[in-house]
Amino acid sequence: MAAVMVSSAGGLLAMLNEPQPSLKHHALTHLNNLVDRFWPEISTSVPIIESLYEDEEFDLHQRQLAALLVSKVFYYLGELNDSLSYALGAGPQFDVSEDTDYVHTLLAKAIDEYASLRSKAVESNDMVDIDPRLEAIVERMLEKCITDGKYQQAMGIAIECRRLDKLEEAITKSDNVQGTLSYCINVSHSFVNRREYRHEVLTLLVKVYQQLPSPDYLSICQCLMFLDEPQGVASILEKLLRSESKDDALLALQIAFDLVENEHQAFLLSVRDRLPAPKTRPVETVQAIEITDAPNENPSGDVQMADGAPAPAPAPAPTPTIVHETDPVDATYAERLTKIKGILSGETSIQLTLQFLYSHNKSDLLILKTIKQSVEMRNSVCHSATIYANAIMHAGTTVDTFLRENLDWLSRATNWAKFSATAGLGVIHRGHLQQGRSLMAPYLPQGGAGGGGSPYSEGGALYALGLIHANHGEGIKQFLRDSLRSTNVEVIQHGACLGLGLSALGTADEEIYDDVKSVLYTDSAVAGEAAGISMGLLLVGTATEKASEMLAYAHETQHEKIIRGLALGIALTVYGREEGADTLIEQMTRDQDPIIRYGGMYALALAYSGTANNKAIRQLLHFAVSDVSDDVRRTAVLALGFVLYSDPEQTPRIVSLLSESYNPHVRYGAALAVGISCAGTGLSEAISLLEPLTSDVVDFVRQGALIAMAMVMVQISEASDSRVGTFRRQLEKIILDKHEDTMSKMGAILASGILDAGGRNVTIRLLSKTKHDKVTAVIGLAVFSQFWYWYPLIYFISLAFSPTAFIGLNYDLKVPKFEFMSHAKPSLFEYPKPTTVPTANTAAKLPTAVLSTSVKAKARAKKDAEQKANAEKASVSESGSGKGKEATEKEGDSMQVDSTATVEKKAAEPEAAFEILVNPARVVPAQEKYIKLLEDSRYVPVKLAPSGFVLLKDLREHEPEVLSLTDAPTSTASPATGAAAATQGTTASAMAVDDEPQPPQAFEYAT
Amino acid sequence: MDPQLTEVSQQFERFKAAFVRKDYSTCSDLLSRLKVLLTKFTSLPPLFENTPNAAHELTLARDIYEHAVVLSVKTEDQDAFERDFFQLKPYYVDARNRLPPSPQENLILGLNLLRLLVQNRIAEFHTELELLSSATLDNPCIKHAVELEQSFMEGAYNRVLSARQTAPDATYVYFMDLLAKTIRDEIAGCSEKAYDYVSISDARQMLLFSSDQELLAYVNEEHREWEVKEGFVVFQKAKETAPCKEIPSLQLINQTLSYARELERIV
Repeated sequence: MAAVMVSSAGGLLAMLNEPQPSLKHHALTHLNNLVDRFWPEISTSVPIIESLYEDEEFDLHQRQLAALLVSKVFYYLGELNDSLSYALGAGPQFDVSEDTDYVHTLLAKAIDEYASLRSKAVESNDMVDIDPRLEAIVERMLEKCITDGKYQQAMGIAIECRRLDKLEEAITKSDNVQGTLSYCINVSHSFVNRREYRHEVLTLLVKVYQQLPSPDYLSICQCLMFLDEPQGVASILEKLLRSESKDDALLALQIAFDLVENEHQAFLLSVRDRLPAPKTRPVETVQAIEITDAPNENPSGDVQMADGAPAPAPAPAPTPTIVHETDPVDATYAERLTKIKGILSGETSIQLTLQFLYSHNKSDLLILKTIKQSVEMRNSVCHSATIYANAIMHAGTTVDTFLRENLDWLSRATNWAKFSATAGLGVIHRGHLQQGRSLMAPYLPQGGAGGGGSPYSEGGALYALGLIHANHGEGIKQFLRDSLRSTNVEVIQHGACLGLGLSALGTADEEIYDDVKSVLYTDSAVAGEAAGISMGLLLVGTATEKASEMLAYAHETQHEKIIRGLALGIALTVYGREEGADTLIEQMTRDQDPIIRYGGMYALALAYSGTANNKAIRQLLHFAVSDVSDDVRRTAVLALGFVLYSDPEQTPRIVSLLSESYNPHVRYGAALAVGISCAGTGLSEAISLLEPLTSDVVDFVRQGALIAMAMVMVQISEASDSRVGTFRRQLEKIILDKHEDTMSKMGAILASGILDAGGRNVTIRLLSKTKHDKVTAVIGLAVFSQFWYWYPLIYFISLAFSPTAFIGLNYDLKVPKFEFMSHAKPSLFEYPKPTTVPTANTAAKLPTAVLSTSVKAKARAKKDAEQKANAEKASVSESGSGKGKEATEKEGDSMQVDSTATVEKKAAEPEAAFEILVNPARVVPAQEKYIKLLEDSRYVPVKLAPSGFVLLKDLREHEPEVLSLTDAPTSTASPATGAAAATQGTTASAMAVDDEPQPPQAFEYAT
Repeated sequence: MDPQLTEVSQQFERFKAAFVRKDYSTCSDLLSRLKVLLTKFTSLPPLFENTPNAAHELTLARDIYEHAVVLSVKTEDQDAFERDFFQLKPYYVDARNRLPPSPQENLILGLNLLRLLVQNRIAEFHTELELLSSATLDNPCIKHAVELEQSFMEGAYNRVLSARQTAPDATYVYFMDLLAKTIRDEIAGCSEKAYDYVSISDARQMLLFSSDQELLAYVNEEHREWEVKEGFVVFQKAKETAPCKEIPSLQLINQTLSYARELERIV
């Protein structure tokens, strides 16, 4: 440009009035360049330029130039609609590749416009006229993105505009098809709001996936699961299993584990049923069975599967003998089929989880002891809260030491407290599928014997069975049904209904439904409530006609409890249906009865759970401030937590105003909403929002805030957020304070339970690693939040717990010794230190001495010390670890404290920057990004995942494998001698298959 | 020399010849051709590129537009005047430090001021005035226009009319004639407001007509709403149309009071 700039566009504008077309053209061209500076001057002449654009005699190029100029002026005037319509008139003159604000803004506008037109066209099913010029611009933009290599933009636009053809083009043309595909899956989950459309997108993705030369079966299967196409998954699995290569089989197993993680029971079962039954060789069957001890073709499948799993280890020995007789391909195929069926039924993973939780249990009994001592005996609320806290703390660990040691104290639980005390055993033994029934046997109703135990413990036991078998209840359903039918005591019916609902979660089993319905129609308040919830659990996400049946009964009955149970049940049926549930939601939210409206809030929460759908949020916020019933308002706010859990960062912002509401119910709801959606994230904003609420003036708000805070802080260590420590101290203070309200005291007790849930090895996770909703977890939290009315429902929170573990498995589904690295300071993610007894009352030997885990602790400590020594390679550390070892030998119980103390002392030197973890290891969510594999490791994971079940490929197949997770939960039976229990077996042969835990001895209530 | 430049110069020579001959239609033809040719030069506004011939081209273009302005005065075409003047303006404003000032500049600026005065665009007149330096304000051409405006505003219409004789340039005469008409319109507007009726002879004197016929013709052309009867010009008709708005004060008071009463009742 020249040094001198023009100071006015007046000259050029005057030229527009010249009679000669060439002069006008000249003026237009120059004005187009100057418009950025002189648009205010030009804007007065817009009518003239417009008339030039409309002048038919003008040549096309000139008219387009005029249109472009007008469009720019309108852009500067802020009239984007006019600007866009003239830009369309400018045709090719509008250059999409130009890098100016004007072009960017208009393109965005054009794409928005086009996208909204397209979605309107699709949604209303009638033809909407779309300006072909608009379409042309968007297509030009898409092509430009694709040619420039900006595939992500192209895909985003294509998805927004519902141009699946372009989406496909963008994906196939991209240079990294796998990467773009997974990006696309992510995008479609987080940004595509309409369910049907998302289905279309995913179908397309599956199509593209399958066309790839090396399809990514993991992702395909995830998509297929979302599309609910078990046949597709089954055929992929079958293909992989039939393959020659062991890697393919590993991949199939990995797929199965990933599917299981999403907890979609009905889908998993139908995949499993579609897989062919493990065929035994038709001709030589007899010989084969004679020769081998038949672990592979174990025909009865599921239950024995877990027992059968270790069998393939000795298998290589007999197989060579039959190789010539049978088709080896068939044999391996059958073996693999058995394995995969075991995984799909969920039992393999449940068993491994159980082992992990048991062996890594780090729960701190001292905390419970403190609670127990400080709460008043007569205060039944706090008493049962302590029992709940114990159950939650030991969820899934099978460690019931605390109960055993305090039988006297426990016996104070009467009536419903007894019900929940018994049910608590179910939480502790969650997933203990094989032994569950025998564990609970002493409490179960004795068929025909007639009134052996109290109905409360019987009902509780049935509920406990449901909790043990939650979502995997094939083996127990029949028993529960029988119990339900054979009783007419409403407490037992209550327990049986809940148990049935849990074990048959989402199966929509007609027969069970009828049984439960008949209970409902007895119109008994206690049983009816459970029946309502149970029906909902059965029909989760099915959106059946039965919902209207339930709604009709809710209108009919007089009992509030039944209405509430049904309302929640109806809400459960529409889980994840999004728009499909709108009619029902509308019907419920407009109801006269506040309890049904309350159910409507849950329906909104569950139908749109994890979608962050704007419409749902708007509706909920509306109800939160406008409904006349406090219950409805509280639930509306709470429901926000469910809608937003896929995007936890948003929740504190959205509910921050509500948390300052004058209405305590709304504040309570806000606290729980944050607790639900930010569970396990330790999000700083969430904590800041909850902190003031924990010292609210209203007792139940404090309760909610404490529980929510505990949910947010699960597994967050004090090193990463100092407020965790403050919170723990606050809880202790509340529990010890004699003058604290019962409500908040109960909150504090529950909070301490949740904070250390599952032996400090679980977190609350509503999304699987592939960003799918975890049905069971969401449902669990939804029913949990119902504890406001019914304390026993607190146990539903155990459904939301998922272990934070990396569990590597070899081809035989065993846990080999495998080391990997966490590239972060160990203190960031370590277990909280065990509480120490205040020095004043250390006279008595503490019960920590008989911690059942002390054996394990010993072994671990030794290992830790060795690792440290290796890692640091410093002479100081060696002496330190030596000290540690001595300490170990002297005093098993206090060892843990001591060794950490010595480490602390050493910590004056810089702390190690990394930590070596041994499979299976606790990997908390925040730690996942630091996980690295060691080079030259023997095993290589099939997929790169920092946690969960990962199948490992063995690179050195011929060397003997060292298995690490071998101790089954054994020592529970004899806690007193637990410390003396044998050291862990380290060889494969010592794998204690038969060493299932003994059922705990029955404890009697002194009622 | 650049062939284009040569062509423009030749055409311009022919234009000037025709201009001297007062052959204005030929002039217009040549002028429009010249303008098209000028668009080829990149050194001209708005690009101002530094080509080797820039100075020459700029001078030539300025010359052409100056002639164009004068031509439009001669042909009494105000639109063309405006157009050409605006195209000329960048040469004065933006190219000031690249060119020696033009001898015609003040004359043209003065003409433009006069045009604005004639068209009764007083606001723009003052805007233009503000843009001029104090030195140029002393120039007789500019000063003439400024004084005219002052007299015009004061209502000293006779001084305006007598200024015709002192016009600094022959080209000004055209606008001075037009100005007389503008003044007449002003006077007519004022008398309309001031009087109900005026005798024809007074009206003739006031509106500066030399004969009654001229007056009647003017009334017929410009002010059809005036009535001429019995030796008087009656403005009544025009006045009647003026809308008369009365504020319905009583009604408003009543309303306000009732609102106040009702408000009290609600609370």
